[in-house]
Amino acid sequence: MNLHELVSQLIIDTKGSVSGGLFSLPTADSSLGVFAPELCLCATIVLLLFIRLFKGGSKVDLFWVMLIGTGLALVASSPWKHLGSHPPLPGSLAAVTRMEIFTGMLVYDPFTVYMRSVLIGFAFLFAVFTKLSGIPDREDGADIYTLVLGSTLGMCLMASANHLLMVFMAVEMASVPSYVLAGMLKGRRTGSEAALKYSVYGAGAAGVMLYGISLVAGLLNTAHLPTMAAQLAERLPGMPSGEIMVLALGGLLMMVGLAFKLSAVPFHFWCPDVFEGACAEVNAFLSIASKAAALALLVRVAIGFGAIPPVGIEPGSRSVAQQHAPNETVSLNHSNGGLFALADEGEEPTTASQSHTGHAEGGDEPNASAAAIDGLAASRTFMAKLIAFLAAITCTFGNLAAYGQTNIKRLLAYSTIAHAGYMMMSVAAFLVMAGDAPLQAQDAIAALAIYIATYVFMNLAAFAIVAFLRNAMHTEQIADYAGLIRRCPLTVICLSLTLFSLVGLPPLSGFIGKFAIFASLVDGYEVSVSAGHPAGFLMVLLVIGGMNTAISLFYYLRVVKVMTMEEEPADRPPFVYPEVSLQGAFVWLVTAPTLLLMLNWNVLSEWAHAATLYLLAAA
Amino acid sequence: MIGISPVSVSHYLLVGAVLFVTGAVCMATKRNALGVLMGVELVLNGANLNFVAFGSKYLRAESLGLDGQLIALFVIVLAAAEAAVALAIALNFYNNHATIDVDQANELKG
Repeated sequence: MNLHELVSQLIIDTKGSVSGGLFSLPTADSSLGVFAPELCLCATIVLLLFIRLFKGGSKVDLFWVMLIGTGLALVASSPWKHLGSHPPLPGSLAAVTRMEIFTGMLVYDPFTVYMRSVLIGFAFLFAVFTKLSGIPDREDGADIYTLVLGSTLGMCLMASANHLLMVFMAVEMASVPSYVLAGMLKGRRTGSEAALKYSVYGAGAAGVMLYGISLVAGLLNTAHLPTMAAQLAERLPGMPSGEIMVLALGGLLMMVGLAFKLSAVPFHFWCPDVFEGACAEVNAFLSIASKAAALALLVRVAIGFGAIPPVGIEPGSRSVAQQHAPNETVSLNHSNGGLFALADEGEEPTTASQSHTGHAEGGDEPNASAAAIDGLAASRTFMAKLIAFLAAITCTFGNLAAYGQTNIKRLLAYSTIAHAGYMMMSVAAFLVMAGDAPLQAQDAIAALAIYIATYVFMNLAAFAIVAFLRNAMHTEQIADYAGLIRRCPLTVICLSLTLFSLVGLPPLSGFIGKFAIFASLVDGYEVSVSAGHPAGFLMVLLVIGGMNTAISLFYYLRVVKVMTMEEEPADRPPFVYPEVSLQGAFVWLVTAPTLLLMLNWNVLSEWAHAATLYLLAAA
Repeated sequence: MIGISPVSVSHYLLVGAVLFVTGAVCMATKRNALGVLMGVELVLNGANLNFVAFGSKYLRAESLGLDGQLIALFVIVLAAAEAAVALAIALNFYNNHATIDVDQANELKG
């Protein structure tokens, strides 16, 4: 392959077509075309940083820049178009199947669309929330919004990572701004302590994860996740035990980094401390966006080690085909590989797709891929058991530790840990089913997607109320909330609804998510029984999940009881909390989905199922 | 391979592993925040050495290729960025607590 071909292939990958000169717009099926939401975020970051350099720029309220930027990014990602009931026709330029963009570094599929819409949509709500709660003030706005958007950008990449380099880079891009956010209130002793703890633990976990990545990538001779799966499938059955040990060690070390991001026990130490030290706004960001992205990344890595994804299309292939034959619908079966695989010497001068398909061991032939999936069964079982074990202890520990908390933010931190445990359960079920029943396995991830969507609103409402009450009462102790029902009944009702929903009581939205995840555990058990290798640990997981739900009822109810049943303290300093205000409206706005989702959750379910369509190859 | 060249990929891996373990021990035992951050750097560089060794086509017939070298380059940049942020946070902690002893960071617990 000569340089000219290489460059023109890169241009096709990036922009969709070579024709039209350097400055023509990228087509809808090119890497840049589908990367538009992230590009919007980047542009907003640049604008936020530079706007104050210009005359009069300091008068601009940067909140509006943030709001418009995230709004445009949300429109660019347009989940309603791709996941709704009328998606673009298959084969048309904008249809989302599975496409590996930027020479295989990222993957663009419906799951990417769903997760990044959740993340960007949350950033939009977060902007409104910070405007209403008054943190950051006008001076700090540029810094805080830049950090939040930078972190969101990293999280979007986490949700679409398809290469171990991107896994590590995205985790770092999401984490490093979060360290600063934790300490964003200057001159606070607790804030600086929270930031120090977060950054030290985070940097350590990232280093350990990188070492694990180096072992895995070195052993399998590739860092491209689908190729990794193919290599594993081919080599795992006959692999010497020494190499298996190294592989398992590498996997475990990678899991350390992921567990840190998920705040899974035993890597959860940072979470309660950071939540107590940082302000409630940052807590909302860390507990929702960071967790959602970490779960998406866990799904991506689990697929990378445990299943062979379907063969996707190549960036630009549709527009090229349309140019040649505009009236035909086309389906090209090519997978593309790492950029640097092309540059390797000693490979035949073929096109990128062909050379890579050689690596990926027959994605086109159903027989070969079925045999390959069987080879991965051992790796899947290992991961499923590991994740199930982590989920069980995370969930139990989070709920038990939350019981004795006196600070509401700390209590919510442990609640966040417990919820990470529930959400990880669905990934374990997914891994059990991935080999035998891909469609049901995808439903397990759909359950996770539903849970994440409901969780966004529950936690945002809880932290918004904590922040607004802090502004009024200057306290975050649960005991100080005594008798609040007499002062601000509407807010107390909202917080109580949110807490009941976090328990998972019907008819609130938390029930839907929890039910979906528990149902996926049962599905997983049934599939594994009918396939002849019963995964009893899924039923154990179900029992643990059920018991945890019962335990969690007590500490959530305690907060509700303090707010409603107890007498107001006589020595409470006077405070004003206007219930009929923009703040109150925001609280109701984010509580409404929790309350009303039960009436019609078909849309959410439909989107979640559409989101998981191209995760696994159909058996 | 070992017959042709005295240095094989496992030698590099050994050095990488020593760096990793040293860094991990350093992170676990140092009480000074800067010492902990140095431990992180050691761990990252241990991993980097692995990447470069795995990527070299002179050490093994089938290798990670240029991916290994490029990951190493990216990691160097990320390590610098992370160190900058962590040092700024350590300075902020020092301003508020007049110490960077991580054992003194004990106001948040429960």
